[in-house]
Amino acid sequence: MKHNLGNLWVALCLLYLPAIILQAEDFTYHLRVDKKNPYVKEAVLLTLDVNQTNPNVVLLFNFDLVKNENYSYQRVDIKEKSNAKALQIRYTYLIYPLKPKNVNIRFTLKKKVTSEDSVAYSFSGDRDNVKGLVTKDYAIAVPPLTLHVKSLPQGTELVGDFTLDATLKRHQAKAYEALPFHVTIEGKGYLPLLPNILPPDINFTLFKEKPIVKTLSSTQGTQSTVKYSMALSHVKDFTLPAVSIRAFDPPSEKAYMLRIPSKEFKITEVNKTTLIDKVDTPPLLTQDWSWFETLFSYPFVFFCGYLTAKVSPWQKKVKQQKAIDPLEEKIKNAKTEKELLQILMANESKVFGSCIHMLEDSLYANGKINLREVKEKALHLL
Amino acid sequence: MNDIQNDIHKKIALLKKELSNAVIGQEDMIDSLLIGLLCDGHILVEGVPGLAKTTTINALSRAINLDAKRIQFTPDLLPSDIIGAQVYNPKDHSFSIKKGPIFTHLLLADEINRAPAKVQSALLEVMQERQVTIGDETFKIAAPFLVMATQNPIEQEGVYRLPEAQLDRFMMKIIVKHNTEDEELDIMRKAAKKSFTEVKAVLSLDNLQGLQKALENVHIDEEIERYMVQLISATREPHRFGLENLTDIIRFGASPRASIDLYKASRAQAYLKGKDFVSPSDISVVIHSVLRHRIVLSYEARAKNLTSDEIISQIVETLPIP
Repeated sequence: MKHNLGNLWVALCLLYLPAIILQAEDFTYHLRVDKKNPYVKEAVLLTLDVNQTNPNVVLLFNFDLVKNENYSYQRVDIKEKSNAKALQIRYTYLIYPLKPKNVNIRFTLKKKVTSEDSVAYSFSGDRDNVKGLVTKDYAIAVPPLTLHVKSLPQGTELVGDFTLDATLKRHQAKAYEALPFHVTIEGKGYLPLLPNILPPDINFTLFKEKPIVKTLSSTQGTQSTVKYSMALSHVKDFTLPAVSIRAFDPPSEKAYMLRIPSKEFKITEVNKTTLIDKVDTPPLLTQDWSWFETLFSYPFVFFCGYLTAKVSPWQKKVKQQKAIDPLEEKIKNAKTEKELLQILMANESKVFGSCIHMLEDSLYANGKINLREVKEKALHLL
Repeated sequence: MNDIQNDIHKKIALLKKELSNAVIGQEDMIDSLLIGLLCDGHILVEGVPGLAKTTTINALSRAINLDAKRIQFTPDLLPSDIIGAQVYNPKDHSFSIKKGPIFTHLLLADEINRAPAKVQSALLEVMQERQVTIGDETFKIAAPFLVMATQNPIEQEGVYRLPEAQLDRFMMKIIVKHNTEDEELDIMRKAAKKSFTEVKAVLSLDNLQGLQKALENVHIDEEIERYMVQLISATREPHRFGLENLTDIIRFGASPRASIDLYKASRAQAYLKGKDFVSPSDISVVIHSVLRHRIVLSYEARAKNLTSDEIISQIVETLPIP
C-alpha cells in the first residue's frame, strides 16, 4: 500500500509536469513546456505566466533559469500587462537539453513587494539625485522541471533542418596561391557550429577564419546561418576530400546527410623569387645566421684575447732584438760635422762633451778632425 | 786663453773645489747656481727631499762670504713673514721696521708651492723688482740677490701650483737627480765619520762683482744670437721651422724673458768653461734649464706623455746650427 501511494504520486507528477500551476501569496504562476520528451539539442519552448492576485500591493518579479551544463537556454520574450494592480507577465524561453535521459531544469523566481508611495518617491528622483525603489524581496521556490530527453541517432553532428552550400570559385591556381572556399550552413535548429568542417588528414595547407554566426531566436525556434571561410593552398595538384555531415531533424524524426563533393585542384608551379611582395617590400628571404654569430663570437673574442696575450711578449722580444737605438742610427747617418754636432747637442750634450768640443773646434776654431773617428767616439760614449 | 781668462778660470775652479768639500756630486745644480749668481737670475729646483739643496746654498754663501737664509714655505705663511713688517713699539709709541728674511744675498725658498698664491706673489715681486716696500719705506735688496726655490714633484696634496707668469721669473729650472752610487757611497762615509770639511771663503763679494763684470766681455756672434732667437721662436711657431708635429703639442711658447735668460745663461756657461765666446754647445747645455718651465704643453702632449725636454731636444735637433 505504502509503495502504491508513492508510485501514484510519481505518476501524477509526470502527468502534470508539462504544466505546473501553483498558488503563491499575492500571485499565481503557470509554468509549461511545449514538449515533455524532446531529443537532445531539440528546442523546447518554456512559458511562465505570472498573475497578481492581491491588488493591495505593488508587485515586481525577477525570473530566470539556473545555468547548468545539461542544457542551454535563451530568453525569447517578456510580455507584461500592468492594469490596476493586476500585473500579468509572460516569460518565454527556448531550452536546448544537451544530454539524454532526465534533465532537471531549475528556476529562480523573486517576488518584490513595495507600495505606491515608494514607487512615487523613486520616480521623484532625477539623474543627479537617484532615489532607489525600496522593496521587500521574497524568494519563491519553484519546483524543478524534469525533461525526459531522447538520444540522437549515432554520429549526428547537427540537430535541426539545415541546408549546406559550399562555394568554390576556382579550381586552378599557382603554387602557394590561396583558393577561397566558403561553406554556409543555414536552417532552423540547434546552432550548427562545428569545430572542423574538413577531415584532419588533408594533404594541403588550410587557412581558417573564425566562422561568422547569425542567429534569430523566436517562439518557433532558432533560425541560424553559420559561414565558414577557408583558403586552400599547395605547391602541387591536390584533392579536396568529400565531406559528409550527419544531421537529424527532430520534428520529422528524419536523419539526413549534408554533403560537399570531392574536388580536384590544378596547381601550376612558379618561380619562388617572383612570389616576393614587391608592393610592401618585405625583407629579402635570407638565411638567418645571427645565432651562429652569437654562439661563436664570445669564444672567438676569448680566443683572440688569449692569443694576443701569448703573442704580445714574443712580439715585444722580437721587436727589441730588431730595434736599433734611433740616436745610434742618427749618429751613423750624420754626413757633416754640423749635422753630427746638432745631433749630439740635442741629446745629452754633457755625455758627448768631448766629441762636441772636437766638432766645435773644427767648425769654429779651424781645428782638424776625422768625422768617422768622432762618430766612433760618440757611439762608444753612447 | 789670456791671463785674465786664466785667472777667472782658476777662481771658478777654486770655488767649485771648495763647494765639493760640502756637496758631493750635483754638478748641474752647482753650475746652475753659479750661472744664476753671475747673471743675477733665480733658480727653481725640482727634486725629492734630501738632495743637498740647503747644503749647497749654505756652502755657496760661505765660499763667497755672502748671507744666506732659508724660508720653509707652509700654507699659513704670510707675505709679512717674508718681506717684514712695521712693528709697534709701546715704549715710545712709534712704529719700527722689522725686515724679513728676504733681506739676504742667497735665499732658499723651500717648497715654494706649499704657500698660497699671495705669498708666492710677494716673493716673486721682490725677485723681479729687487726692492721691498714696507709701510711707506722702500728698501733695496743688496746685490747679489739669488733665490733658489724648491718644489717637490712627489707631493700633489695641499700644494699651490705656481702660475706660468710667475714661473717665467725664474731664469732656470733644474731637475736635481739622485747621486750616483759612487757619490752616495762617498756621502755615506763622510756623513758617518763627520769628515765634511768646513767651507772656507775663497772669493769675496768684490771678486764676484769682478766676475760678473768680466762676463760682459764674452763675445756672442750675431749668427749665434739669431740662432738663439730662432730657438725661442720655434717654441711659439714650430710650423715655421718645419716642426708641424709640435703645433698641437705646444699650447704657449717661451716668453721674451726666455730669450734674455738664454742669452745670459749661454754666455755664463761659456764663461764657466773658460771661453771668451759662445758656441752652439753652450746654448745646448743651458737651453733645457732655461725653457723647460716656460713651455706650456697642450692636453694632447700630456696624453702622449711628452715632456718639455723632449720638445726642446727636437727643436735643437731640427734647427740648423750656425
